[in-house]
Amino acid sequence: MSSAGTSTKIETFIQTANLLSRMNRSQPGARESRTLYYRMLADYYNNIHRARQEGKLIAAHTVFFPTEVLYAMDIVPMHMETTTWLSAFLLKEQSELLAKGSELGLAPEICSPHRGVAGMFALQEIPKPDVILWSNLICDNTAKSGELLMELTGSPGYFLDNPFQDSPGELDYLIGELKEMVTFLEEVSGKKMNWEKLSEIIERTNKEIDLYREINELRKAVPSPMNISGYLELISADYLFPGQVQAIEYLTKLRDELKSSILNKEGAVTNERFRLMNLFIPPLHLLGSLVNIFDEQGAVSVAEPMFTRWSDGKLDPSKPLRSVAQKSFLIPERRSMYGPLKGPAIPDIVESAEQYQVDGAIYWAFMGCRHTCAAIKVIKEALNEIDVPMLTIDCDIIDPTVNSEDEVREQLMQFFEMLEDR
Amino acid sequence: MNTKSTCLPTFERFRAVNKAFPKTQEISEIKQRGEKVFGWLCTYVPEEIIHAAGILPVRITGYPREMELEDANAYLYINNCSFSRSCFQMGISGEYDYLDGVVAGSTCDGARRLFDLWRHYIDIPYSHILTVPRKFTSRAHSLYYDQVKLFKSSLEQYLETHIDDAKLLNSIQVYNEARGKLKKLYELRKADKTPISGSETMEVLNASFRMTKESFNKHLDILLDELSRSREKHHGEARLMVMGSVMNNPEFIKSIEDLGGLVVTDELCTSTRYWSDPVVVDGVEPLEAISKRYLNNYPCARMVPSEERFDRIKKMIREYRVDGVISQIIRYCVPYAHDLPLITQRLQEIGIPILSLDVEYGTSGSGQVRTRVQAFLEMLEARKR
Ligand code: SF4
Ligand code: SF4
Repeated sequence: MSSAGTSTKIETFIQTANLLSRMNRSQPGARESRTLYYRMLADYYNNIHRARQEGKLIAAHTVFFPTEVLYAMDIVPMHMETTTWLSAFLLKEQSELLAKGSELGLAPEICSPHRGVAGMFALQEIPKPDVILWSNLICDNTAKSGELLMELTGSPGYFLDNPFQDSPGELDYLIGELKEMVTFLEEVSGKKMNWEKLSEIIERTNKEIDLYREINELRKAVPSPMNISGYLELISADYLFPGQVQAIEYLTKLRDELKSSILNKEGAVTNERFRLMNLFIPPLHLLGSLVNIFDEQGAVSVAEPMFTRWSDGKLDPSKPLRSVAQKSFLIPERRSMYGPLKGPAIPDIVESAEQYQVDGAIYWAFMGCRHTCAAIKVIKEALNEIDVPMLTIDCDIIDPTVNSEDEVREQLMQFFEMLEDR
Repeated sequence: MNTKSTCLPTFERFRAVNKAFPKTQEISEIKQRGEKVFGWLCTYVPEEIIHAAGILPVRITGYPREMELEDANAYLYINNCSFSRSCFQMGISGEYDYLDGVVAGSTCDGARRLFDLWRHYIDIPYSHILTVPRKFTSRAHSLYYDQVKLFKSSLEQYLETHIDDAKLLNSIQVYNEARGKLKKLYELRKADKTPISGSETMEVLNASFRMTKESFNKHLDILLDELSRSREKHHGEARLMVMGSVMNNPEFIKSIEDLGGLVVTDELCTSTRYWSDPVVVDGVEPLEAISKRYLNNYPCARMVPSEERFDRIKKMIREYRVDGVISQIIRYCVPYAHDLPLITQRLQEIGIPILSLDVEYGTSGSGQVRTRVQAFLEMLEARKR
């Protein structure tokens, strides 16, 4: 492996994040929480960059993986999908990664972040992980990605089987899976799990979830204090630093800023005209343009129930592993995308639309994500019943060849016109 | 391959069932008697339990040809596999309107969303989905066993009846009988010249999902007898195995065989993976034996580790003396698509060429597919020289 190449890539992430953090700080009126967000990103990749020197293992893992366990064991997590997104978003290297993925024999119908992850490992662009951890929470792509990655990296791996429905037996099954994973990680790392540390992380996770809930409450304000890029930053805190001080610090700052904006009646856009619900994730490479379009048109993203609506419940730090399992039943993404559709997914969306006084919804139909797209019609009908129109935009989260900025702009403009006419 | 089709009366009977499906005469008679018919999705649904409840289980499949699936595209979206869309299209068009229930497992994204939308949009008195773990560990077995128990009690509640062990044992026996006979049918295909072609075998398998197992067993017995006396023999320039996504279109196999290959075995959930392992009631409760069999059965691509499936494929390749493998993967069938690089490499290691085809469910194998199969067969032929 070209270690120079891998460190360059991670270093580029760190430098870019630091640069963005500095740029944000120097902008008049910029949110401090955004500076913290970029610093979080820099910290995250710094941990990966320093791992070898510090004698720590790196665990590459799929999205929605319970990395609290890793933090408690002093193993450095590397979120594979986020790392591909960043390559796409910051470094615009998506075409290269996807081309490598298809060279490996991965069909174009496979979700692009996963093709990109395989491409990234095959190109040896990021540090070789010491272990690969993957899970079926949340889809066939996450469930099926690990074995090829183990072969590409030559690293051992553990597949965490996350049950489909929510029952006491299934919770126990997941706890058993987690126990087995801890044993596996202890063997690979030669270090014992630090249960006390895990309890502390759970304690902080409770705080973190409370902050998420508080922020969600604040976002009901009119005018909305947060714009479309805000929610993508918001969800990253838990993806990268669950139960960690960085997440708490960032979320606390954000909450305080939102409170003060609301107090001062400051909206995220100057003239709020459209309160929108975003469903699934917009193309990340178009984020800058979307922010501009939303600003121009007075549009704000007030609710994203698929990613921001947490279930009720509190974790028990005295039962840390059970709590880690329970958390995976609390996360918004599980409610909205996993498990039978008959569950809370649709009522959550409808209730959010009402609570957040939504004018319209945009469904970002990512073609690689089958199970989420299969719910589009059901969601659209449920929203139409409460008179909320929904625009569906076919897209890809990272592949820029799927839709151009102009096409997306046109679709949005037509939708805004329609909303205006209502 | 020599393409003359087998002219055996029993075979024609199976073919007639398939032609009439989903509205077969037997199903109509069952409904007229006021009995129930359930549809099941995916081989991780324990059919014996439905059978033991006195209900006819039929496998939900889609159209036997590639179709415009306009309604299904609107419901399931275009990026769900055409198998789930084809099944849904039939469901929403009322072609399965006689079903009293639908049972599924949490097997893959395509199947679970098909179940979700079926339950949401198609009027169905009973529906149930089982959580199916993705591992073979003892922990996974006990979770799946719980799920099987839950399914049984939900069915008992719905029917207001009790499914006792005697009924379960009877169903196990009937289903094991079918598995044993299908195994015999496959044994015949190990010969150099086989009395039944790959496409004809698929007709038999299709009928097995659509008839009462008792009637199927009776007819398969006769067919096996007829085949043992038949002078019709099939042989091909290359012995092939078909693997990949769900596929139950005999026309597809026929198109390969028309080009000179002989499909001698397969790794499909509509065939080998359906009949391969029996339920072994060996000192365990019948329900536990059922649950053990279903989770341990010849695995689907959804299971981890995949090596278990790959090993079974390699074993079949040896047993059936396969020259080449045709992998057919339905677009957006993610479980199989992810495994393709891995299985390709393993087959390369044992010197077995693989042709990988991207298809849509119901494809008859014409056009581009035909050209590629032809080239593959030529390559296999050249290797022999
Ligand atoms: S985008 Fe969809 S398909 Fe891809 S990993 Fe996420 S949930 Fe799975
Ligand atoms: S295994 Fe593939 S073809 Fe079968 S239902 Fe799932 S996605 Fe569709």
